[in-house]
Amino acid sequence: MKDLLTIELKFSEYHTIFPKIMLTILMFLAVLMLLLNIAKRIKEGTLTAFRYQFFIDNYDRLKFYGTIVLLIAYALVLERIGFLPASILFMFLITLLFIGNVRKQSIVVSLANSLATSFVIWYLFGQLFDITLP
Amino acid sequence: MDLFEILSPLSVLLCFIGVFIGIIFGAIPGMTATMAIALFLPITYSLDMVDAIALLIGLYVGGISGGLVPAVLLNIPGTPSSLCTTFDGYPMTQKGDGEKALKIGITASIIGGFFSLTVLYFFAPVLASVAIKFSSVEKFLIIVFALTVIASISKGSLLGGIFSGFIGVYLSLIGMFADNNQLRLIPPGFEEELAYGFSLLPVLIGLFAIAQILQESEEGMKASPHQTFDFKKEKKNPFTFKIFNGQIINTVRSSMIGTFIGMLPGVGGSAASISSYSQAKNFSKHPEKLGTGEPEGLIASESANNGLIGGALIPLLSLGIPGDSTTAVLVGALLLQGIQVGPLFIPTNPDLWDGIIYALIIANIVMFFLMFFSIKYMAKIIYIPKYIIYPVIIVMCVVGSYAINNGVMFDVWTLLLFGLAGYVFTKIGIQVAPFLIGFILGKDLEKYFIDSLKGSGGDLTIFFTKGPIALLLWVLIAISIIYAIMDNRRSKKAGDQTITPST
Repeated sequence: MKDLLTIELKFSEYHTIFPKIMLTILMFLAVLMLLLNIAKRIKEGTLTAFRYQFFIDNYDRLKFYGTIVLLIAYALVLERIGFLPASILFMFLITLLFIGNVRKQSIVVSLANSLATSFVIWYLFGQLFDITLP
Repeated sequence: MDLFEILSPLSVLLCFIGVFIGIIFGAIPGMTATMAIALFLPITYSLDMVDAIALLIGLYVGGISGGLVPAVLLNIPGTPSSLCTTFDGYPMTQKGDGEKALKIGITASIIGGFFSLTVLYFFAPVLASVAIKFSSVEKFLIIVFALTVIASISKGSLLGGIFSGFIGVYLSLIGMFADNNQLRLIPPGFEEELAYGFSLLPVLIGLFAIAQILQESEEGMKASPHQTFDFKKEKKNPFTFKIFNGQIINTVRSSMIGTFIGMLPGVGGSAASISSYSQAKNFSKHPEKLGTGEPEGLIASESANNGLIGGALIPLLSLGIPGDSTTAVLVGALLLQGIQVGPLFIPTNPDLWDGIIYALIIANIVMFFLMFFSIKYMAKIIYIPKYIIYPVIIVMCVVGSYAINNGVMFDVWTLLLFGLAGYVFTKIGIQVAPFLIGFILGKDLEKYFIDSLKGSGGDLTIFFTKGPIALLLWVLIAISIIYAIMDNRRSKKAGDQTITPST
């Protein structure tokens, strides 16, 4: 009994003890959840019925993938062309994307939003508070 | 201690700004005090400690209070803790008493706020002085106790919530272990970037802000139905403080419930609002009227949810336990300033402790006047279209992540990674709040675990044989878990379909 409740400590392996315990607990929980799920399915008689839907019905493909692409692009160019140009461009495009059309009014709104925000943040954070900007 | 020795005019101003912005965040459904604090963390980095805390406290108080605006006007709780405000607030709006209802709520809020503040001021130092004697065994158990929060905030699947919490713990272990400077769990090629693990801030705002924006973009950024609402003019039945005559007991009782529930880690805002509402109903002279637009119910809910704030700060400042996601973010803020929250916090940072108390007083007063006299205009906040506000938030998140370690691009990638992860998490049933709490507490959990074992030579029974305090903590842990399981059963039985908060 005493051996079971004792963990061997070696200085060179301090860093692996805890992650191992956590991993064991995680696997235990995962198996437990799987078993419970199977038990529930057997009880309800739906053992083989798999219906899993990741996206909601009729999800907005353009806006969803557009947002992801723009986010990644923004992060990519941020350090290359600097905070102001990158942010103005990004904000303009993403506001336009969120509005969802390219009418004259939307373009004006997007432009105003992007210019105002970018400059305010640049001034407030970069100049006033002296925070490192890209 | 003199007020102005601690708080400079700048910190008062920042507190004011914090309350103002907090109210805006609280008032917009889907945005919470947690998000407001997370977004403003980077600014605090360049501020003086007391100034920073004044801003954050302002955001906290404003964020919790702002939730009553959409709750009363639109029947949507702006924050989870204003859930029961809708029960009587919205019927009052329907009767044309919207402004009166808001003012009742605001007054109840400030009373609740001050009540909990008093309790915090007297109780936290006492608790801390007990906790100061704790060894690593007790500290480990305290963190385990804090982790049982995860069980009670799990929504739907209890096991799923616990699983999410452990994933959080696991991911927090990435990087170097301080005892023997060995790296572990780092994917090959990222040894340099991840030597100290993922930074907390980008993880946090990624999970809260970016994930939410991705979710909304999947839904097509539609204007929420509430944005077409009309704020009707009204003249009859103006608000007077006389409404509170005969409500004193109700107000005090609700503030007390709110404060007490705030102290329990993880029970959360909506529970405070619900229990004080149901108590108000139990003690009411005419319980059948509650829910039809009675100030009584409104007072109960709002004084309780502001009572929460002081309550939640008690375990945070005396033991270092964050009771919910908002206080978890506050831990992050203090860590950024190089301050370790725990039993030693109050004795080693007396100025900051006073600063927190003063900031709370000022924030409550500012909140009251700001909302009381400009509520009509504040109420318009709920009309700001998402396509304006979300891009602004994204840029602020990116700036914040980049700046947090003085210009590390990898932190921006962390932000995006965890934004995407947070979005995927909600789809596959991993719960964000438990994950985050695990992530925040994970490193300390490991540290105290290893320290305890070093003391006992690897003997695990040390956790039970250490002494009476350790046993008491085990009892608390057990109670907390049993309570969570029962609560989970009950809400499952009730088929709880009420509004699930977005935190």
